[in-house]
Amino acid sequence: MRLIATIFVIAISSGFIYILANPANPLPALGPFLDPVNGCWVSAEPVNKDFSEHIKLPTLQGPVSVWFDERLVPHVHAANDHDLYFVQGYIHAYFRLWQMDMETRAAAGRISEVIGDKTLQFDRLQRRKGMVYAAENSLNAAEAEPHTKLMLDAYTAGINEYISSMSYKNLPLEYKLIGFKPEPWNNTKSMLLLKYMADDLTGYTEDIPLTILRDALSPQDFNFLFPEKISGSTPVIPAGTGFDKPSLTSPLVPNDSVWTHFSASDYATKRTEGTGSNNWAISGTRTQSGATILCNDPHLGLNLPSLWYEMQLQTPDMNVYGVSLPGAPGVVIGFNDSISWGFTNNYRDVKDFYLIKPVAGNANAYWFSGKQIKYTDRVERIVIKNKTDFVDTVHYTIQGPVMYDERFHGPGNLKAPLAMCWMAHKATNELLSLYGLNRAKNYNGFVDAILNFQCPAQNMVYADRGGNIAMWGQGQFVNKWKEQGRFVMNGADSAALWKDYIPMRENPHALNPAQGFVSSANQSVTDSSYPYYYNGYFYEFRAWRINSVLSSLQHATINDMFSLQNDTYSILAANTLPLMLAYLSPADMNAEGKKYLEELKKWDHHLSSESIAATAFQVWWSKLYEDTWRDDFQNIPVSLWPSDERTMQLMQTDTGSKFFNNWNTSSIEHLRDIVLLSYAETLDSMAKLEKEGNAQWYKAKNTTITHLAKLPAFSYPGLKIGGWGNTINAAKSDHGPSWRMVVQMGKEIEAYGVYPGGQSGNPGSKYYADYLQNWVDGKYNKLQFFPNKDEPEKENVKYTWNIGTK
Amino acid sequence: MRLLLTTILILMFAAIGEQFCPWWIIAVVSFIFGFITDLQKGRAFLAGFFGIGIFWLIAALCRDIANHHILSQKMAVIFHLPHYSLFILVTVLIGAIVGGLSALSGIMLRKVL
Repeated sequence: MRLIATIFVIAISSGFIYILANPANPLPALGPFLDPVNGCWVSAEPVNKDFSEHIKLPTLQGPVSVWFDERLVPHVHAANDHDLYFVQGYIHAYFRLWQMDMETRAAAGRISEVIGDKTLQFDRLQRRKGMVYAAENSLNAAEAEPHTKLMLDAYTAGINEYISSMSYKNLPLEYKLIGFKPEPWNNTKSMLLLKYMADDLTGYTEDIPLTILRDALSPQDFNFLFPEKISGSTPVIPAGTGFDKPSLTSPLVPNDSVWTHFSASDYATKRTEGTGSNNWAISGTRTQSGATILCNDPHLGLNLPSLWYEMQLQTPDMNVYGVSLPGAPGVVIGFNDSISWGFTNNYRDVKDFYLIKPVAGNANAYWFSGKQIKYTDRVERIVIKNKTDFVDTVHYTIQGPVMYDERFHGPGNLKAPLAMCWMAHKATNELLSLYGLNRAKNYNGFVDAILNFQCPAQNMVYADRGGNIAMWGQGQFVNKWKEQGRFVMNGADSAALWKDYIPMRENPHALNPAQGFVSSANQSVTDSSYPYYYNGYFYEFRAWRINSVLSSLQHATINDMFSLQNDTYSILAANTLPLMLAYLSPADMNAEGKKYLEELKKWDHHLSSESIAATAFQVWWSKLYEDTWRDDFQNIPVSLWPSDERTMQLMQTDTGSKFFNNWNTSSIEHLRDIVLLSYAETLDSMAKLEKEGNAQWYKAKNTTITHLAKLPAFSYPGLKIGGWGNTINAAKSDHGPSWRMVVQMGKEIEAYGVYPGGQSGNPGSKYYADYLQNWVDGKYNKLQFFPNKDEPEKENVKYTWNIGTK
Repeated sequence: MRLLLTTILILMFAAIGEQFCPWWIIAVVSFIFGFITDLQKGRAFLAGFFGIGIFWLIAALCRDIANHHILSQKMAVIFHLPHYSLFILVTVLIGAIVGGLSALSGIMLRKVL
C-alpha cells in the first residue's frame, strides 16, 4: 500500500514537472518561464538600472566609448570604421535582438519556423517574391565593395559577439514567450532587412488590377478617371525646374500584342490609401534664424519595438546623428556636422509583371521571343514548427521569379503564371549610399552618396550649413516606352523587357529653387517637362497642404515646423464639405440630422483627436465615395476605384457627371442625390458610434502601436492623436509618422526628433515606449549632438560603456 | 524546529542552485532534503512548499518592486489576470507546489526503501 502511494506521489510530481517543462500552445513552458531567477522576471528591468559597464571585446582594434544620454541614446566614439560598426552591431543586439531576428525572418519567409503553420502562406509569399534572391544579389554587390564589406563584416561580428555571450537567462522576453533562441547573425540578414524596407516601399502589385480595370472600362473613361498625372499637382521637383537634356531617347511603343488580358473573379484586396511620408527643406531666406531647416517624417507601420533606433556615431572622419535600423549598419535618416538629409517614398513604378506562356507538355520551359527557354528553378524549403517541411519550387524566367501560378494563386484567385521584374532584385548597394551620406561634407558629397541608392527609390531632401537646400527624386529607373510596365505585359515579347537604365545623374532634382523651399509627400515627381516616361502611385493631398503652408511662411521657426508636422488640416474636407453642405437643408431633417449639420458647419476641417465633426466628415466621405462608384464599378474591387483626389475634382467640376448617376435606377441621379443618400447613411453610422462611445475621431480610427508578435499586452491601442493618411500628421490605425525630425543647420545645429516607441526593445523596461506620449502630443525630444571629441559633454551623459580589448 | 530548519535549507540551496542550474533544480533540492530529513510526510511537503515558495516570492518581489510593476502588469494581461499581484501569486504557487511535491516524493521514497 505504502509502495503504491509512493509511486503515485512520485508520478504526480514528475507529471506536474513534465507539464511545466513543456510549452502548451499558446503558453510557454511555465517552469522556466515563471522562474524568477532565470525566467521572464529577468526582463523586469529595474527602473533605476545603471547601464554603465566596462566591456571587454578582444576583437576590437582599440578602445571605444559609448555615452548614453538620459533618453538612453548611445553616442559611440570609435577610432576607426571597424570598431564603430562592430560596436553598433553589439548595441543593436543588446537592445533590439528579438526584433532584428523577427524582421529578417519575416523578410526571408522563415516565420513558420518559430510560429507554426499559421504563417505558411505569408512565408510562401515572401519566397515567391524572391526576397532571399534579392538579398543575395545585393550582398554580392555589397561584399565586392571594400567599404560596405568592412561595414557588414564588423557589424555582423558585433552582433554575434553579443549573441555568443547570452544564455537562456538573458534572452529577450519574446524568445522565452514564443520558445525559440537567436541564431548567429550573418551579412545576408542585414541585406534582408534592407530588402524588407524595399518591399514595404516598392512592393505593390497594382499592374495586375490596372490590367483588369483597363479591360473593364472604355478608353475614354479609363483615362478620365485614372490620369497618369492628376491636374493641379504640385510636384516634388518644383514645376518649371529645368531638366538636363536626356542622353537616351524614348523607346518606340510596341504594338498591342505586348499587352495581356485576363480577368479575376474574387478580387478582395482592401483599399489602401495615402501611405507615404513627408519631407521638406527651407532655405535661410525664409527662416527666422537665417539658417536652413530640414524636416522629415517617414510614414511606416507603427510597431513596437520601434523600427528605428536613435544613435550618434563618431570616428575621426565622421560625426553623424539620426535613426538607424536595428539589423543594418549606419544611420539612415539624420544629419552630420555639415549636412542633413531625409527620405520619402518616390512611388515611381519599379516593379513590373509579365504573363508567362508555358510550353505545352513541358512543365520546365516557357516561350520567349519565339524560342523555348528552360526555367531556372529555386527550391524553397520552408521549415514549419512541429510539422514537416513545405517545399515550393519557384520558377525564374528571364524577367524574374514567377510569383503566381497554378500552385500559388495571385490576387483575385488568378492562376495565370505571372513573372515579376523588380528593381529590388538587382545587385544594388544602398549601404554604400548610407556610408557616403553619413560622411558627406557638402552638396557634392551628398549627390555622390545618393547615386548609389537604387531601390527603393526615394525623394531625398537635403539641407546644409552652407545655406543650400535640394531635392532629388532618386533611384534606379528604366528608360521605358510610354506605358511600359503600367499594365501586365506579354512575357513572350522581347519588346516588353527592361532595357537601358536612365543614368542616375539625370534623375529629377532641384538645388536652391527660387521658391526658397523644397518638399515632397509622395506626389507626382515632376511636371510634364521631364523627358523620361514614368508611371507611379502618387498622392497629392499632403503635398497640397505642405506647399500651401510653406509658401506662406516668410520667417519659419522650429516651432512652425513642429506645428506643420502635426498639422491635421484636411484639404479633402476643405474642398468638398462646402459642396456637400450646400445640398442639405435643415428643414427636411430630424434632430440628429440638424445636430451634425450644425457641427459640420462650425468645423475647422482639422481632423483633431477629439472632434466629432471630423468623424462625421470622414464617415460621410467614405459613404459618398462608395455611393458614387459602387454602381460604376460593379464586380471591380474597391481598391481599384478612382482616387479621392479624382473624386474630389469630379465633384468640383461636374456635379451632373454620368458617374454620379446610379445605373441601377431608371431615374437620372446627380451629385445632390448621392450627397443626400450618403448623409442619411452617415447619420446611421454616427448613431452607432455614439452608442459605443466611439464618436470622437481618435476613438473611431483607433491608432494603435502594435507589438511585432501582435501581443495586446505589449501594444498601445486607442492613442489620442488626430490626423489621417491625407493630412500631414498621417496617423492612421496602424500606420503613421514613424520618426519626426526637425533640424536647423545653423552655426550650432539644433535638432529635434521623436518616434512612437523607446530605445529599449524590452517590454519590461521603462525605456520601451517612453517617447510615445510625446509623439501622440506632438512634442519633441531635443537631440543631443555631441562634438567629436574624446571627452564627452559630462552633463549630457547618464551612463558610459568603456569598451576595451582587454 | 526541524521543519523550519529544513525549509530554510531548501530555500538556501535552491537559491544557490538556481545560480548555476535551470529552474528544475528547485525540484532536485526539495527532493533531496525531503529524502535526508526524516520529517513526517505532511511536514516534508510544507518544508518544500514554503522553502521554494518563499524563495520565489522574495526573488519575484525584488525584481517587481525595482521594476515598478512594469513587467508584471503586462504579464498579467497575457495570462488574463486582473492584477499584477496575481501574476506574482501564480509564480510563487507554481514554485511552491513543485517544491512541496518534490519534498513529499523524497520522504516517501525514503520510507519505502
